[in-house]
Amino acid sequence: MDLDLARQAQDGDESAFAEIVRRYSPRVFSVASRFFRQRSLVEEAAQEVFLKAYTQLGSFEGRGSIEGWLTRIATNTCLNMLRGAKRRPEFTVSDLTEDEQSWLEQQSASTGGEQPSVENSLVATDLADRLLSVLSPEDQQALLMIDGEDASIKEVAEATGWSESKVKVRAFRARRKVREAMEKLLSRNKRADSAAD
Amino acid sequence: MKDKHIIEILDSAPITTLSERELNEIRAHAMECASCRSAYEAARISTVALKSRATVVVEPSPFFQTRVLAALREQQAVESVPAVLRLWRSAKVLVSTMAVTTAALAAVSFMQPSQATPASDQASVYSAYSVIMDQSADDQMTYEQVLNTIYEDDDDAR
Repeated sequence: MDLDLARQAQDGDESAFAEIVRRYSPRVFSVASRFFRQRSLVEEAAQEVFLKAYTQLGSFEGRGSIEGWLTRIATNTCLNMLRGAKRRPEFTVSDLTEDEQSWLEQQSASTGGEQPSVENSLVATDLADRLLSVLSPEDQQALLMIDGEDASIKEVAEATGWSESKVKVRAFRARRKVREAMEKLLSRNKRADSAAD
Repeated sequence: MKDKHIIEILDSAPITTLSERELNEIRAHAMECASCRSAYEAARISTVALKSRATVVVEPSPFFQTRVLAALREQQAVESVPAVLRLWRSAKVLVSTMAVTTAALAAVSFMQPSQATPASDQASVYSAYSVIMDQSADDQMTYEQVLNTIYEDDDDAR
């Protein structure tokens, strides 16, 4: 069925292509949301994905699903968009907002397992973005999929086209970098707290 | 496990994939090892932040499909025009301007020389040097001549 739809779209049937866009845009948006949080950027990336997909319809052979094929195009498109962006060299405690500092204190005190409130989720999301910004876009992708979305190594390999060992190496490296950055933040935050007391 | 540092384990897999037994062992080690304790705490909090980040998904707007189709039509319209024609369309204003300017310059170059020669002669007669430095009596009106000229004009006016 996917192959039929792709063939019809390739033959110039606009309604078939519109159906592909309608059916798979939630998936493409979900992939683009891993890389961008601003709606305009997510939409720009998603549009780019579908335009690329249209020109590459001939290369879709129907061995896998359209969804998987689009996921890979989306991942590569977003990675390309991000490659030019500048990375933050280091993330310091002075960059933290008051909300983020108090969230960190709260998390240090808790043993985990509590359901975060909506406000806390926003703070945590901002903090995660800052932590991820010290990584390369590829490492961000691997870590966010595995640690954030509970994706398997195989799923990441399929979405990106990387080998499983490459995914493992990327995830390991990214996890360690993020953990070290978080460790620095926590120790500085505690020091700042005790100095304030 | 109690004597073994746990940092490698924390970095090799997401905390959420560790079994309860593994987590208990990690916690037991962390109680006695300060560096592993801070590593475990950082890994745990990072995971919470990453999980929150993963829940942020932008939903497609109802107009997205229309937007993509419009962009596709625009792209097809651009591609349907031959490359040379597209190049001409984008460059025609520049090329036309350059052609007009060149023609104007050529016209000026070919038409000016006949007038330019006497003009340059005159220029040499009334050069800056002669105007400033050559103050011979022949070229200058006397004070009386100036007054006469003025009063003659007044008489004519009456």
